[in-house]
Formats: sequence, structure tokens, C-alpha cells
Amino acid sequence: MPVFKTPFNGYSVKFSPFYEQRLAVATSQNFGILGNGRLHVIDLSPAGPIAEIAAFDTADGVYDVSWSESHDSLLIAAVADGSVKLYDLSLPPTSNPVRSLSEHTRETHSVDYNSVRRDSFISSSWDDTIKLWTIDRPTSVRTFKEHAYCVYSAAWNPRHADVFASASGDCTARIWDVREPGSNMILPAHEFEILSCDWNKYDDAVIATSSVDKSIKVWDVRNYRVPVAVLNGHGYAVRKVKFSPHRGSVIVSCSYDMSVCMWDYMVEDSLIGRYDHHTEFAVGVDMSVLVEGLLASTGWDELVYVWQHGTDPKAP
Amino acid sequence: MATNNSSQQSGAGPPPKPWERAGGTSSGPAPFKPPSAGSTSDVVEASGTARPGEIVPTNDTTSAINRSTLGRPVPSRPWEQQQTYGGAGYGSGLGYNSGLGAGGYGSYGGMGSYNSGLYGNNMYRGGYGGLGGVGGMYGGGMYGGGMYNSSYGMGGMGMGMGGMGMGMGMGGPYGDEDPNNPFGAPSQPPGFWISLMRVMQGFVTFFGRVAMLIDQNAQAFHMFMSALLQLFDRSGLLYGELARFVLRILGAKTKPKKLHPPGPSGPHGPQTQIEGPKGAPAGAWDGVWGNN
Repeated sequence: MPVFKTPFNGYSVKFSPFYEQRLAVATSQNFGILGNGRLHVIDLSPAGPIAEIAAFDTADGVYDVSWSESHDSLLIAAVADGSVKLYDLSLPPTSNPVRSLSEHTRETHSVDYNSVRRDSFISSSWDDTIKLWTIDRPTSVRTFKEHAYCVYSAAWNPRHADVFASASGDCTARIWDVREPGSNMILPAHEFEILSCDWNKYDDAVIATSSVDKSIKVWDVRNYRVPVAVLNGHGYAVRKVKFSPHRGSVIVSCSYDMSVCMWDYMVEDSLIGRYDHHTEFAVGVDMSVLVEGLLASTGWDELVYVWQHGTDPKAP
Repeated sequence: MATNNSSQQSGAGPPPKPWERAGGTSSGPAPFKPPSAGSTSDVVEASGTARPGEIVPTNDTTSAINRSTLGRPVPSRPWEQQQTYGGAGYGSGLGYNSGLGAGGYGSYGGMGSYNSGLYGNNMYRGGYGGLGGVGGMYGGGMYGGGMYNSSYGMGGMGMGMGGMGMGMGMGGPYGDEDPNNPFGAPSQPPGFWISLMRVMQGFVTFFGRVAMLIDQNAQAFHMFMSALLQLFDRSGLLYGELARFVLRILGAKTKPKKLHPPGPSGPHGPQTQIEGPKGAPAGAWDGVWGNN
């Protein structure tokens, strides 16, 4: 599989839910500390290099990106200046971004599009809040402020249109219902900051959290006193965790130890794959919804790898 | 890779997800209320929880509603004002990661306290001064004490990491400009104080993000600093040269170190004797082979 080189440091990569060969990559200059950002949309070709379809520049780093589930050309970017920007690939670059939503008072760290109702998305920020947005409104619908520290990630439940989970530096993960004034559940999931969370696609009560304590924990929200599984194997903080869209017990994760790991939390030897292809922190990983086993990762080595599970990401 | 799925129309939604095709396989009753019908904004408004466009100030204390549920106190944000800046007051209360020296987590004060923690109190103080200086700069200078007092000066940033911070921080005045802004002519150049404030904002942002990265990856930062200190140590820079460098920055005159002191200087004699040929005394080779 070919490799795509980005000019800035990679932060996030996402497969399009519409086209199996299309990906979006969020990048930031100077490791996202200071400088500009760029959002790339790239296409894989059966044989040959990865082609860039579009690129959008921002005045600050781009930390995360999410594809719209309602329009195949719509993208949402979490920008480090606190804004959430909407881009439309069908419009010329001069018309983009089509919308810039500036309500977060600190860096926006993640965005996630609601895949069930397909009309809304959530953004999480270092200002400790999560905001709910709909694509037809210029302001947020509501703000969820309960976390006592930065909210690093928020993810919709893939089977329930009103429920999402959030992961925060206050060492808790919280489960929210957009109809409730406060959070439904508070999971004191790790001893250290929680950097990412994701839902099991085949069991709507199971979530995974990843933390600075190098571990991934799988929880059943119906009984969250003890984790269902604890996955150890990363050498440093686990930056992102993602459940497979195709198999209920499979998880993929990436870490500051520069590796991408695949796990099956149901089996005893849960680490079922390890890829050490990145030469800097691996901070973005995704699994294709449309092609089983197709993985993508990006990192601070400014490279985007796309490969089939079981093959060498660096193989040409 | 397959080609575009041309049957997909904009607005029609993506292909069904694998888990939707699989049907409901939840391992039991989910603990959530059943989903409501209608659009998200309607659902939220019907629930009475909608608050359109709410902007939460960063110093909003009401956001700490459920602080009591936490197992331990939460460190202050890097951009927050540090009243009890420094090693002891701030860091030790947390016990967050003692290996890093009293909560180096997530604040300028924290960075300062890093200096007074593991590395600060032992022999590595000198080598680590650069980062400690940053802590001092923000904790004491900009916010804590006089707003623009002299501790903002570059001297506080010192060596090593300081150089990087200086160069990037100066980009600050332009950080707020949006290159995508399609409206109108460029505005008036900002006044001196405005641009100074923006420079400072740039510094705050820069070190805030550095601190957050350290926050997220504490172990790697520890390894990095250990490696850096080892490097300094090995090169012999740490104790002598570095101290001399600091003194020179501070304006003190230091005598250059003499590389080859004259005369024998140790029990093994002068090292210079090893180098270069040496004339043997006359007849010194006589009788080597026992010439009887």
C-alpha cells in the first residue's frame, strides 16, 4: 500500500463512510504547538500513488476531522483556535470553509458526527466542555460542562442517536444523553488522564477507554465497577482507541510509543497485531467501515499509511 | 481498491453500517432511555436542555459540578493563573507523578516546579534551568506580579528550549489573522501594546500546548529529559560549561579554561608527553639486548 506524505505533522485520519478509497487527514505544523494546519482529502488508487483531492489551510493546527454521515462531500474539522469548521468538497477552495463555528474558548480536540440521526455532531475541547451542533444552525444547540479538565475526545453511540461518551483529563469517562441536563454515568476509568474513548459497534453498552497509564480498558456501562478487560502492551500513553466496525471484540489503538496495535478483548492473548511502521508518535488511526480489515494511521512523522490488517504497512 | 460507489448520492446517507446489517446484538437491556424521534435540535429543545450558543468562560467555576466524584484533585490548566506558583505549593499537593517532580503536569507553574523537583534539587539544576525559567516567567512575571516586569525578558528563558520558544512565540501577533478571511482590506496595524499582548498570548498558547503535550505523554517526556541530561553529562557540558555559559549571560566575566596547563599536573605526569616524538638521550638504546 502506498504512503502519503503530508507537509505538517499528522494528527488524525478518517475513512469516508461513503467511498471506500477516500480518507481525510488532519495535520498541524510544528507538532500542533504553534503554526498553521491543513486538512487533506486523499484518494487511494488500485495501483499507484495516493492522490490528493483537496487541501484546506487553517490559521491554526487541525487536531481532528470527521466525515459527515449525511453528505459525502462534507467534512468537519476541529481546529486548535477553538473553532469547528465545515468544509464542502463540492465547492471551490475559495468558498471554504462553508462555516466556522467559534464557541469553544480553548483548543477543540475532537469532533464526531452522529451516525444514527445524521444531522448533528459533537465537539470536545480543552475548555472542559462538549458542544452539540446541528448542521443547519450557526450556534451550538447545547453545551455539556461537567468535566473538570480538558475533554480529549467524545464519541456518539453507534446504535443510539441520543447517547455519547466523553473522555477527559479529569480521569473520568462520562456517558451522556442529550435530553438529560447532566451526565448519565461517571466512570472513574483510569488513574491517569483518559485520552480517548469509543463504543463497541455490536454492543451498545460497551465502551473502551485509553489513557496516559498506557492501558486500554473495556467497560460495560451497566456494571462499571470493574472493567471487562484491561489491555496492556503499549509502552507509552495510548492516544486513540477505536472499535472495529466489522467485529465486535476487535479494537485498534495507537500510542506515543509509535506503534499501532490491534486487540481482541475477548481472547486471552488479546494483542493480535502490532505495527511499528511510524518513526514518531502515532496519534491517528482508523478502520474502514466499507472494507473489512483496512487500516489507516498517521503520526508526527508526517506520513499516512493505509494497509490491510496482516500485511506490512511499509510494503510498496 | 474499488472505484467510486456511484450509486451513492449526496444527502442519501452512506451505505448501511456493518453493525446495522447485523441487527441488534446487545448483550442485554441497554441502560439508556429509548431514542426519541425527530431531529436532534427538536429532541434537545423538547427536553428543555437546549442552550443555543452558550459560551463557557474558561474561569467558569460552575463547570466543576462533579469535582467531588474525582479520586484526586485536578491540576490547574496551563493557561490558568497560578497563585501558588512554584514547586512546593502547587506540585506537592497533587502527588500526581512524583517521578516527574511534583506535578510537572500542565501549568507554567508546573514547569517551574519541575525544576524544583526531581531534577531541580539535585545536581542537574543547571542543565534544566531553561525550562524552569519558563515557569518563573509566567508564574511570577506576567500574571503573578507586575504585568510587564523584567522577568518577562529572554534571560528567563535561558538556553536550550528557550530558543525555540522565543522564535515561535514571536509569530504570535499574526496568529489571529485568518488567511481565509475573504472580507475587505487589511486592518490597521495594531498598536504597540496590542501587539505586545498578542505576543504574550502567543507565549501562553505555545507553552500551554507544550504543557498539554507533556500532560498527555508524561513518560516520554521523562525519557526525553533523562536522555538530554545524560547527553549534557557525557559531553561534560553540564557542570562546567553550562554554568560558565549562564554566568556569561548574566554578565559575569569568566576566565577561559586553559587547555594545556604547563608542567606536570598529576601523579601520572603531563599528558602532553604522549603526543609527539621525543628525543631519546644519547646512548639510551645501548645495551637493550644485553650486549655483553
